[in-house]
Amino acid sequence: MSAFHTEEMTLNMGPQHPSTHGVLRFVIKADGEVMREAIPDVGYLHRSIEKIAEKVGYHGFMPYTDRVDYVCAMFTNQGWAMACEKLANVTVPRRGEYCRVVAAEFNRLASHLLTVGLMGMDIGAMTPFLHALREREMINDLIEELCGARLTFNYMRIGGVAWDLPPGWREKALAYLDHLAPILDEFNSLFSYNKICIERLANVAPISAADAINYNLVGPNLRASGVNWDVRRDLPYSVYSELEFEVPLGAGEWGSQGDAMDRYMMRIREMVQSSRILRQALAQMPDGPVLGKVVRNFKPAAGECQVRVESARGDQGWYVVSDGTAFPQRVHVRTGSFAAMGMIQKLSRGLMIADLVVLIASLDVIAPEIDR
Amino acid sequence: MQLWLDSLIAHGVFGPHPSHEWVYTIAITIACALVLMLVALPFASIVTWVERRVWARIQSRIGPNRVGPNGFLQWLADGVKHVCKEDLIPSEADARLFKLAPYLVVLAFILPWAVMPFSSGLILADLNIGILYITAVPALTVVGILMGGWASNNKWSLIGGIRSAAQIISYEIPAGLSIFPIVLMTGTLSMQGIIRAQGWAPDRWFIFANPFCFVAAFIMFISSLAENNRTPFDLPEAESELVAGFATEYSSMRYLFFFMAEWGNMFIAAAIVVTLFLGGWQFPLLTRSAVVMNALQFVAFMVKCLFLVLVSMWVRGTLPRVRIDQMMSLCWKYFVPISFINLIGTAVWVAIFPDGNAIVRWGMLAFGVAIAVLFASRVITFTRRSGMELYLRPTI
Amino acid sequence: MAVANSYFRNIKDAVVSIFDGMAVTASHLIRRPFTIQYPDRMPVRVQDTLPFRYRGILDVDLEICTGCLACDRACPINCIAMAIEKNAQTREIVISQFDIDMAKCMYCGLCSEPCPTGAIHHTTEFEGADYSLESLIRRFIVEPVVAYKPKKGPEPDEDVAKLLGRGMKYVDEWAQPGSDKAPAAAPKPAPATSPASNEKVP
Repeated sequence: MSAFHTEEMTLNMGPQHPSTHGVLRFVIKADGEVMREAIPDVGYLHRSIEKIAEKVGYHGFMPYTDRVDYVCAMFTNQGWAMACEKLANVTVPRRGEYCRVVAAEFNRLASHLLTVGLMGMDIGAMTPFLHALREREMINDLIEELCGARLTFNYMRIGGVAWDLPPGWREKALAYLDHLAPILDEFNSLFSYNKICIERLANVAPISAADAINYNLVGPNLRASGVNWDVRRDLPYSVYSELEFEVPLGAGEWGSQGDAMDRYMMRIREMVQSSRILRQALAQMPDGPVLGKVVRNFKPAAGECQVRVESARGDQGWYVVSDGTAFPQRVHVRTGSFAAMGMIQKLSRGLMIADLVVLIASLDVIAPEIDR
Repeated sequence: MQLWLDSLIAHGVFGPHPSHEWVYTIAITIACALVLMLVALPFASIVTWVERRVWARIQSRIGPNRVGPNGFLQWLADGVKHVCKEDLIPSEADARLFKLAPYLVVLAFILPWAVMPFSSGLILADLNIGILYITAVPALTVVGILMGGWASNNKWSLIGGIRSAAQIISYEIPAGLSIFPIVLMTGTLSMQGIIRAQGWAPDRWFIFANPFCFVAAFIMFISSLAENNRTPFDLPEAESELVAGFATEYSSMRYLFFFMAEWGNMFIAAAIVVTLFLGGWQFPLLTRSAVVMNALQFVAFMVKCLFLVLVSMWVRGTLPRVRIDQMMSLCWKYFVPISFINLIGTAVWVAIFPDGNAIVRWGMLAFGVAIAVLFASRVITFTRRSGMELYLRPTI
Repeated sequence: MAVANSYFRNIKDAVVSIFDGMAVTASHLIRRPFTIQYPDRMPVRVQDTLPFRYRGILDVDLEICTGCLACDRACPINCIAMAIEKNAQTREIVISQFDIDMAKCMYCGLCSEPCPTGAIHHTTEFEGADYSLESLIRRFIVEPVVAYKPKKGPEPDEDVAKLLGRGMKYVDEWAQPGSDKAPAAAPKPAPATSPASNEKVP
């Protein structure tokens, strides 16, 4: 066979592609179907959001945080609000914290529904995608009643949240959670436990725990590899210490630990846990104000602070430097998708092109979060 | 049809001394054209409407329902739109092969219509190698798709074309092997012969004749899905990986030709399975009028074929796509050995029970009915558990 | 032997899981589709079904605008351009320009929060697409308008009172302390608010 001349093919999975999650580009060096390497190219969605913070001030930046990761806008809102509150020593009222948890967990449900649906679409099953999006539309309806928008919520403010729960909303939310539980089982029957799905996802790009930590993976990706780290439980913020929930861990039941199937099933299990948190939070919500007293002309003391929030994509870090004026000096967001992109080049060696799509979908990479 | 033409010649319809060959040739040409214009092409177009509506209901959507009554003319609007589109040929592409490829694929779709057994009298050509012809001809799609993939001068198209070639060629084998049990049981390759060997009652269908044929029916159906590039085997046109695979660079009518061939082939695949396993056009003998019987048989054939086409669409809406190496291992490690076992098993069976065995037949039928009942109960369970509203009307 | 076991288990798993999957999709075939057929086959206009807090296209009720410029200051993207003058003799504020550039607006709602009367508010309208970019700049002032001065007691003029009622419903509901035991506090009747109150609203 050595006399048979073969060449490596360089393919461009360009910024316009039906299955990259957002505008991403990969330069794939492939030997037929098997890849030698897939080099990611990011930056197509860079909007200088962190620089914009320095121009619009603390209150005005809140809608921009929605756009950092528009699928999980509540978490970015919460991260920014918590960072500013830490800088200025503002306490959020208890009901405000509970409203934040309720909104955030609904957003986690919506984001995970989108992720598992996209996984379906990426491996060719269009139906689970639409079923998942139907459920997500119902969550969007709920949140639209709560804060007025379906995607870029701008719900949280520095010092609490903007709106209290409207009358009758709690009953609708609980009815939705009751509706969701059998639908998730049905989704699993249709898609997650389907033999073809398991064959496509199991044993694809297993990430060991050491690799996951070294490459800065966070969130469900990290937990799928067996590393037991969840910011809500280990560095509790807001009122998560008063709520009971489990943190699912990957154990390689369908393939190896940390493979794509584990990462995918993490999200299914986290949805179940989010439902649990939501029921508790809706039941335990105390009365009181939802927004603390914060001046309009917000000028925190000079200093820096770092805050971590467990977003649907993982541990999201917000680092804010204030110089005492009404505009921050530097804002930086450290997102899980950015780290995940760094790992793709290493993981893609030896995978097939079809597996690259599965890998990106299982890492739950969202382009606006990478580029900001 | 030959008998009918002979009687017409004897009555002097074509003049005093016509050349039989000329009469036959012209008649068959006209008949082929009629079948294509009235059955094949409309089917390939209208089935897109059905597929989109069925697919949409599976996905909790509605599907096209505006153009024409319930969206019935959507395919016409799509066709007109595609005709009006710019015909792009990439500058570096091999223009001659690029243009030729869709025609080959459509040719592979059109040729099998010559042996479609619509009823006991309505068949264009009852070849005595009918079933072999109908299995061999769709292999032309390989040539067409490979040509399209290569001539597009696009690496993604090339990957799609090569995947498709590997897939279609591999799945010809289980498909062919699944035909042979039936041929063993009937001793003939002709379509009408195979249908006449079955009866109108379900227990007389070959699918229930013995367990090997039951398995062979499913393998035949799944292999035909693979031959048509239908999900779960639609790797060549895998939308989420390869944009449109081998058809990426095609626009307007050339693109539609590829997909018209795919949708039309669904019918041919269904017809093969119906002929071999589900009794073809067989219908209980109600009247002695040949015209009425032919019409009823035609209806029976179409109903069975359309049901299988519906199943094919339903499978498309349910299953994800397999990867190329999994598809290969599925074919060579699972389907081919099982097909061989079916073949040998049927050979032994025919040796032991030359006329079949009533107990086994009824047993298999009962088994089939039990599976259907189990399926219906699962459907009812899922519907009840989801708590969503029922809506049984097909149109909305 | 393990290979044979896994071989048959694969076949069994495939058959069972595909059977289940097909049952789920068959069950969906008989369910009502979730799609609503907008805009023509709907019983009610979509705009009338949207919740009260929906952040659609902005609108300004000039009758109750106090000319305080709080919305102009709050907008992070500077899409509101206002010009006011203080008439020296009558001590009235006159608004001569009130433009909102909807092309820049990001529907965040930060402008409607500090408004003392709820003059600037989001409607439930979302169909704003048009052919030119200039048409997206909504100019609310045709000729200079005298700003509204909130009354100490209830507003006497009925039309203005209606607008004020709607506006204050929003203002009062925003960041309202909540309780799950008592029903939500009814919005206060046309209140006596003064322009100075926007300082203490967070």
